Amino acid sequence: MNAALGHSGVLLSLAGSIIGVAVIAYGLARNRPELVRTGRLYAALVLLGAIVATVAMERALLTHDFSLAFVAANNSRSTPLLYTITGMWSALAGSILLWGLILAGYIAAMVWRFRRQASDPLVGWATLVTLVVAAFFFGLMAGPSDPFRTVAGVVPANGLGPNVLLQDNALVAFHPPILYLGFVGFTIPFAFAIASLITGRIGEGWQLATRRWTLFAWAFLTVGIVLGAWWSYQVLGWGGFWAWDPVENASFLPWLCATAYLHSVLVQERRGLLRVWNLSLVIATFSLTILGTFLTRSGVIESVHAFSDSDIGPLLLGFFAVVLATGVGLIAWRGDRLRSPGGIDSVMSREGAFLVNNLLFVAFAFVVLLGTVFPLLYEAFRGQQVTVGAPYFNAMTLPIGLALLFLMSIGPALPWRKTTAGTLRSRLTVPAWIGALVIVGCVAGGVRGLAPLLAFGLGGFAAAANVRQLVLSARAAHRSGAGVWRGLVGRANGGMVVHLGVVVIAVALAAATSFGHRSEVTLRPGQVASTDGHRIAFEGLTQIRTPARTATEAVIRVDGHGPLFPAVSQYGQNTEAVGTPAIDSSLEDDVYLTVDALPTTAGGPVTIGVTVQPLVVWLWGGGLLLVLGSALAAVPGKRRRPTDPVSAPVPAVEAGDGSTGSGDALGASDALRPAPRRDVEPDEPGDERPVPEPVPAGSP
Amino acid sequence: MTVTASDDAGPGAPTHRRHTARWVAGIALVAGAALIALLATSPPQTVTEVDTPLVGQVAPALAGPTLAGGSFNLQAWRGRWVVVNFFASWCAPCQQEQPELVAFAYAHRSPADAALVGVVFDDSASTARSFMRSTGAAWPAVVDGDGQIALDFGVRGPPETFIVSPSGIVVAHFDGPMTNAALDYWLARADRGQG
Amino acid sequence: MSRTRARLLPSWLPMAALVVVVAVALGVGASRGGPAPTPAQRVDAIDALVRCPSCDGISVADSSASTAVAISHAVAARVRAGQSDSQIDSFLVSRYGPGILLRPPVQGWTAWVWVLPPVALALAVAGLVTVLWRRRSRTRAPVSVEDRALVREALAERSALGRTTEAVRAP
Repeated sequence: MNAALGHSGVLLSLAGSIIGVAVIAYGLARNRPELVRTGRLYAALVLLGAIVATVAMERALLTHDFSLAFVAANNSRSTPLLYTITGMWSALAGSILLWGLILAGYIAAMVWRFRRQASDPLVGWATLVTLVVAAFFFGLMAGPSDPFRTVAGVVPANGLGPNVLLQDNALVAFHPPILYLGFVGFTIPFAFAIASLITGRIGEGWQLATRRWTLFAWAFLTVGIVLGAWWSYQVLGWGGFWAWDPVENASFLPWLCATAYLHSVLVQERRGLLRVWNLSLVIATFSLTILGTFLTRSGVIESVHAFSDSDIGPLLLGFFAVVLATGVGLIAWRGDRLRSPGGIDSVMSREGAFLVNNLLFVAFAFVVLLGTVFPLLYEAFRGQQVTVGAPYFNAMTLPIGLALLFLMSIGPALPWRKTTAGTLRSRLTVPAWIGALVIVGCVAGGVRGLAPLLAFGLGGFAAAANVRQLVLSARAAHRSGAGVWRGLVGRANGGMVVHLGVVVIAVALAAATSFGHRSEVTLRPGQVASTDGHRIAFEGLTQIRTPARTATEAVIRVDGHGPLFPAVSQYGQNTEAVGTPAIDSSLEDDVYLTVDALPTTAGGPVTIGVTVQPLVVWLWGGGLLLVLGSALAAVPGKRRRPTDPVSAPVPAVEAGDGSTGSGDALGASDALRPAPRRDVEPDEPGDERPVPEPVPAGSP
Repeated sequence: MTVTASDDAGPGAPTHRRHTARWVAGIALVAGAALIALLATSPPQTVTEVDTPLVGQVAPALAGPTLAGGSFNLQAWRGRWVVVNFFASWCAPCQQEQPELVAFAYAHRSPADAALVGVVFDDSASTARSFMRSTGAAWPAVVDGDGQIALDFGVRGPPETFIVSPSGIVVAHFDGPMTNAALDYWLARADRGQG
Repeated sequence: MSRTRARLLPSWLPMAALVVVVAVALGVGASRGGPAPTPAQRVDAIDALVRCPSCDGISVADSSASTAVAISHAVAARVRAGQSDSQIDSFLVSRYGPGILLRPPVQGWTAWVWVLPPVALALAVAGLVTVLWRRRSRTRAPVSVEDRALVREALAERSALGRTTEAVRAP
């Protein structure tokens, strides 16, 4: 029953997407807008099918329906409720179902959001592209990676249960869905980029319309990556939160391109420059999400994350090839239309800074991609295995990271077009001195090491520069009567808060990786040992036995707090023993405990691994700042027209050219009337003087 | 103060821009195609013959107590082909290959024929012993308490199998579950190679 | 807003002072001098650069797997015997192959992975600089004396009207 329901859901979505593609394509080719408009119906069908399939899968899991091979492999009667529900995405086939569900949701949201422009060819093409992507993923589910495949032969009485590592922590309920909300979300800006290339309408309209979608997807991807780091820290007992694992890199690569895009698009909005960059970055972001999916699922690269290798590897690779070829081909074809009206006048300007920013992020992505695939390259050519591990990535990305910190400090203070040294000096002297004082203070406090000192100093510089922007903005908002809070929301100010989060994370990374230290202590019950400035007291062992988990826990007190319970556990019927760590966190450092060796005799000594890393909690605090900043950035700014001056008052212009109903234009060519632009910010917050409200001409 | 003239909008400029875009696109396509070709031809990790530095070298010392209570020394087995198999009871591919090894051991049970010896990898003696007993394995299995034998042989994880020639040289190293047929094939091949 | 009263100090002095302060501090802080590493520290340092063979990409220092522990003990024994870091690395490579080291060797074919990113970045920067330079020199129009006079007049008018003398920004 569940299998039939699930299959019908998948087939409904597949049919809906394929027919939708055909109908929209026909409507676009024959110029029949009423056909193009029906794209909304097919998007709804795809969503319906996805929901039906998901409900079928969850029902099968909750009722322990072991006639489905997926349920038999990933669920058991003793699996707790939470891990039963999350079992849907804990293995390959189900994770594709989750991807399909989220994609269907995004497509439906997109067609609803643009429902009033549904007959516009640009929206039509975008819907078509998203439906093609949906057809691919539901096609995978219909054939090679079928989550509703039934068990061949006898239905087992009990299933195997999920992977032990996925039963340890409730984060399994959050990390994959949030990560997918990020990955899949980039499909929408990608679709609009392709649509604008095909229709030739490469104005700023589509970027503005999809800006919030891109930011939304980026925010979720960021949170997903940070949650992944937290999870591996909490679960995988080796005190690390980022191992430059190929699958981690696969999620990081689209993040890098998306971050570069979010910055670079500001230049296109302001001055119409860097169009090829922006289109390339959007296409690269989406392509890298597909490449990432391939790396995770094909078994080509060993990874702690990798799902078992399966047949869908070549299909994903093929899809990646199609996406890449389409994007690159379209950019080449439309090259003549991508000419910008003007150029970058000077590198010492905000455009110049964003251009350097793009370069640095692309270099970062190149390093990560090269390091990830180099073992394959080497093995293909030389036949031997070589490892490109954390030391390589840390060494190569450190200079890029420092350069980005520097750019984060001077970028917000740089005016558009060009600047003089005097302007920069007047704006950045105080932040620069703060950075210098941070270095001096650290050196005086005994901190040693060039790289961490540079990181701390540049971090101080960047933090002060971004706080300065926020202060100026708040002050300006207060002066203009809009309230201080106004100065803290909106794209630019949210961006400053995000930068602050990045600074905090950078400082925490520098501290934790440069000054972390691992040691082992062997203790009998009742003994205390001192290591790395902390007192570890071992009180004894306890045994835990629940249906879901059998564990031997060591009762430890660190500096008198606790008790903490690092353990060696086994889950369900699985005999594989997994180490579960325990952590004593404080603002200064984390004491990370693992059981390295259990006693061989009763009352014998236990060996505890103790890793002390400074400032780890700051990583998670920085992550929270990133979330906060993204939320602030999503708040719309004051409504303003592009003709409204930003730096000097002008007599109120009669607003005869009103705005379009929904407030956004798609493509510069289709609207003779300029649309109100919500977020055109001045260079320096506070440069604007109060602009008199234009006379409303019946527009909302 | 420099007066900057606007970009000249002559006919040369659009072509220039299109050429730049085409160049960028061309390079991107070539790089992308190379990457895809690389990823397409890399096989997923399955059983393979591994080329480690040990192949062609004298086999490291392999001596120690066995699960049955006796002792084993590889030196004493010079003059015979020896198949060294690193295993653990908890490793699924080891469970998969065990029946094949049992068949191999039975087929080569005569004293001058190829010998099979196991080495316990990161497992307790009792579970390893019951594993051997329950699968009907009768060949000696060396206990590697501190993991130094595995280190000397460069073993990353079970199951890994080495073929040692009668003169004590490691001639092949395999990673993954072996089969009876594969072992026979490789022994025959190595025998021919030895002349 | 630029001040109009004369400055007593050259304008670059505060910046220069800043640079000097930072350079001195970094010079002091960069040197991680001190006593020679203890054997335990040496073992830790070597362990951090050796891959745990049965794990997925983490170092022996970070892992408590049996293979990692075995390697750590072997490294410790060799450190006690007085072997150098490179001798210990060669020993491990002679057993496991070059893949046992987390940092790809700088010699040989693996040097490409170290060299390629800086070279690519340098090429990209060079390309960008060339493009920008060409555009700048292409668009620079000759400025005549009359043009300068016109602009000077216009600026004088604006300042006479009490507006700021900052350069007019393009909309």
